[in-house]
Amino acid sequence: MTDRQKTFGQVLRARRIAKGYSLRKFAELVDVSPTYLSQVERDKVESPPTVERLNRMADVLGESRDEFVSFAGRVPEDLPRIIQSRPDKFPELLRTTKGLKPDQLRELIERAKEMKKKED
Amino acid sequence: MARTSSTLLRDGVPFLREKQMEAEAQLLLEEYAQAHDWRIAAPVPVEEIIELHLKLAFAIEDLRALLSVDDVLGAIWFTEKEVRVDVRLDPSANPSSLSRYRFTLAHEAGHWRLHRQYYQEDRNQGKLFDGRGQPAFICRSSMKPPAEWQADFFAGCMLMPRNVVRSAWQDWRGNLDPVAVQQLPAVTISTDSKENENATLERFCRSLAGQFEVSAEAMRIRLENPRFLLREVPNTLF
Repeated sequence: MTDRQKTFGQVLRARRIAKGYSLRKFAELVDVSPTYLSQVERDKVESPPTVERLNRMADVLGESRDEFVSFAGRVPEDLPRIIQSRPDKFPELLRTTKGLKPDQLRELIERAKEMKKKED
Repeated sequence: MARTSSTLLRDGVPFLREKQMEAEAQLLLEEYAQAHDWRIAAPVPVEEIIELHLKLAFAIEDLRALLSVDDVLGAIWFTEKEVRVDVRLDPSANPSSLSRYRFTLAHEAGHWRLHRQYYQEDRNQGKLFDGRGQPAFICRSSMKPPAEWQADFFAGCMLMPRNVVRSAWQDWRGNLDPVAVQQLPAVTISTDSKENENATLERFCRSLAGQFEVSAEAMRIRLENPRFLLREVPNTLF
């Protein structure tokens, strides 16, 4: 997901239009009211939509759920549980990998996948 | 839209012939049909035309609070390319407002297509009738100055295109013969005969209105021009 200089509402609206959905149609597909969606698109809500709603929006728009949820200012639902499952390791892992370049992160992810495969 | 040599009315828009406005509405539908692989039919996808074709930013907002106007339905900001409809028309909260919601959107499309150029000219000449941040037109249910009447007429033509109305009438009635109010079971709602006539005609055309997703009132007005609905039985009818 790019457009980092734009707000979540602006990006949401642009993606919805690009997919050819009217405000009302998209609201219906993601099960919110058009008035609420309009407020979200204009960044006039006190807090971002729930993760469940953001996931639905990402699915309808064909976006990555993780990126969409994070961009909206929420944390993907499963992450707190994962971190809390190994509080001695996951916080350290995140802090250590913070600042790595995207291709280095990709390499780490691939390595981790291989390690998991071997264990299976 | 081609500008004609015409007298500017008080609110900065010229007199426009009904034929001109209908042609402009038809042109807009044809543009959208061509660009989006759509065949002109009912109901007209007015929301998509506003957002996807005219590329106007659309929002639903509490306009009554924003503009301090009690009976506001919608508003258009030309400079910002924005259309907003009052929150009370949101059809998801109030399904009976769907026809008014759609008509308000078509009405704003009318302002965009019929009046934008005059606004721009006034702006260029420093004769602005609104400033940046203020809507060019605030559309209310009670006040109908000429520009508002024109936008209403445009909306009727856009939501109920002449040829589609004709086909729908033919399918419904089995012919293209007009119907006069005297041929219908009378509806009495007041002591005013004009109001009773309107109510009679509107009850008659309610099912057609549903097909076009417009109000029975809008359908009745459209069916009176072209003359499918008549106030008097013409001599040639029987």
